[in-house]
Amino acid sequence: MRTPGKRDRAEKNEEAPAAGGTIASSADLEPGDRVVYPKQGVYRVTGLEQKDIAGQRLEFVKMTREEDGASVLVPLGKVASIGLRRVASAGDIEGVFHYLGASYDDPELDWKVRHRDNVERLIAGGVLGVAEVVKGLHSLSRLRPLPAKERELYDSSRHLLVNEISVSLGVTHVVAEDFIDFALMPPAGVKLPLKPPPTPVELKGPPWKRKKPASSEDEDDLGLSELGIDLGALEGAGMGEADESGDAEGDAEGEKASGEGSEDEGAPAAAAPAEAPRPAAKGGPAARAPAAKASSPAARTKAPAAKDAAPAPRAKAPPAARKTPAAAAPRKSAPAEKKAPAAARKPAAKKAVPARKAAPAKGKKK
Amino acid sequence: MIRIVTLTPFDPGDIAFLSKTLYRAFGIGTEHLGDRTLPRKAELPDGRFDAGKLLDDAPPVRAYADDKVLYLTDVELANPKGPLGEPPSWGQAAQGGDRAIVSTFRFKPRGVSEASIEVFRRRLARESIHFVGHLWDLHHCYDARCAMHPSWSPSLPDDPEFELDAFCREKSERRIRMAKT
Repeated sequence: MRTPGKRDRAEKNEEAPAAGGTIASSADLEPGDRVVYPKQGVYRVTGLEQKDIAGQRLEFVKMTREEDGASVLVPLGKVASIGLRRVASAGDIEGVFHYLGASYDDPELDWKVRHRDNVERLIAGGVLGVAEVVKGLHSLSRLRPLPAKERELYDSSRHLLVNEISVSLGVTHVVAEDFIDFALMPPAGVKLPLKPPPTPVELKGPPWKRKKPASSEDEDDLGLSELGIDLGALEGAGMGEADESGDAEGDAEGEKASGEGSEDEGAPAAAAPAEAPRPAAKGGPAARAPAAKASSPAARTKAPAAKDAAPAPRAKAPPAARKTPAAAAPRKSAPAEKKAPAAARKPAAKKAVPARKAAPAKGKKK
Repeated sequence: MIRIVTLTPFDPGDIAFLSKTLYRAFGIGTEHLGDRTLPRKAELPDGRFDAGKLLDDAPPVRAYADDKVLYLTDVELANPKGPLGEPPSWGQAAQGGDRAIVSTFRFKPRGVSEASIEVFRRRLARESIHFVGHLWDLHHCYDARCAMHPSWSPSLPDDPEFELDAFCREKSERRIRMAKT
């Protein structure tokens, strides 16, 4: 199944989509020329006009919209920046039909991205950009009805496409629209003679769309040196903390592990709060499961002892213990904790909690 | 006002049904102006009629500003060939203009049974709404239940609806309100 060339988003943002025949300066325009004003339609240049505005004598290009005769005056200096372009040639239009006829099964589902892309395409994407909007929204409409705003956008982009095709091929609007829909939804039993669809042309686009590619230096430089902040020193300090906390925790875990190995769970349970901070108890379910399994038989058999031991850790937690590096920098120590074996990491208090719940249940069953 | 002109003979019952349907769809009066002769100049060598030329050469009728003239015929119409082939033609209209033509050539035969006549009438109403909709600047609609959906679409049912969807109806109403008269 062929799909039309899809532009990479990052690439597209750096370089606006391109349209062929973009008019770079007013010198390229002559009376009688047909041009396409992005999002407006096909205009015919009628000539130059001078006007006195706020004491200044300004020169404008006068254009008339073919569809309804509306006139527009564009200052000479703005001709290049508004994205005016020549009407697409018959060859370009043929490419558009091959694009419309190609299968397309991945419409953008995020409406914000879709809206931004569509507006960008309509402004700077040329006739193929308009066709992309029509096809994208048409494909989406097969999945679900379009919301009101997008329905409007679909209709207006279809109107622009019909106008340009009609002017370019010299057919009526209704026939141009029939051509479009013949490509989009061919009648049953008709196989379209499709060629590979054209890939959207890359162009610089109008100036407001041009985005300077950020260099690596620009990305790295956050202006912290101007604020007197040395990131390297901070990172070093952070690493040191993490190492220390890791060591401290490693020691603590070692103690815990040895304590767990012993038969009596009451003693390490009393020491646990000082060693393991609360985040340690927030291990993933997978990590917790084996520990719970390991502790549950012992807890069941020693439920009364656990009951006594369980409240002790919270009550007896010394305030100084919370201020250890491990407790003070939970973010830095978190990865180290994750790497630790689940059985060793499990605080005794946590082990005792299921015991409290399990004991009455067991009694009830009996 | 929508004025219906028949270029080939039509049953008065069909025209009456069509008039009522067009009035219901657009909220403007509809009348049958009578029969006119089919302009043979638009005939192509293969026996079909060039839809665009037929519309241009159709006999003029008295109409006022913003009146729409709908011609009905049963001859086969032809569209110009596009880059991907020739789309089947069910009619023709001048987008935003004042005249449209509908052909019943591609309809299911009218027959003599009530059911087949009903299907024929419904289809005639649907295509007429479609091409008069073009006269009010409506574009094709993606909704297969809307009369502005392309007539040859594979998603169109055998007996399609002959009404506009909410978006197309609102747009046509806006256009009609903005009309000069």
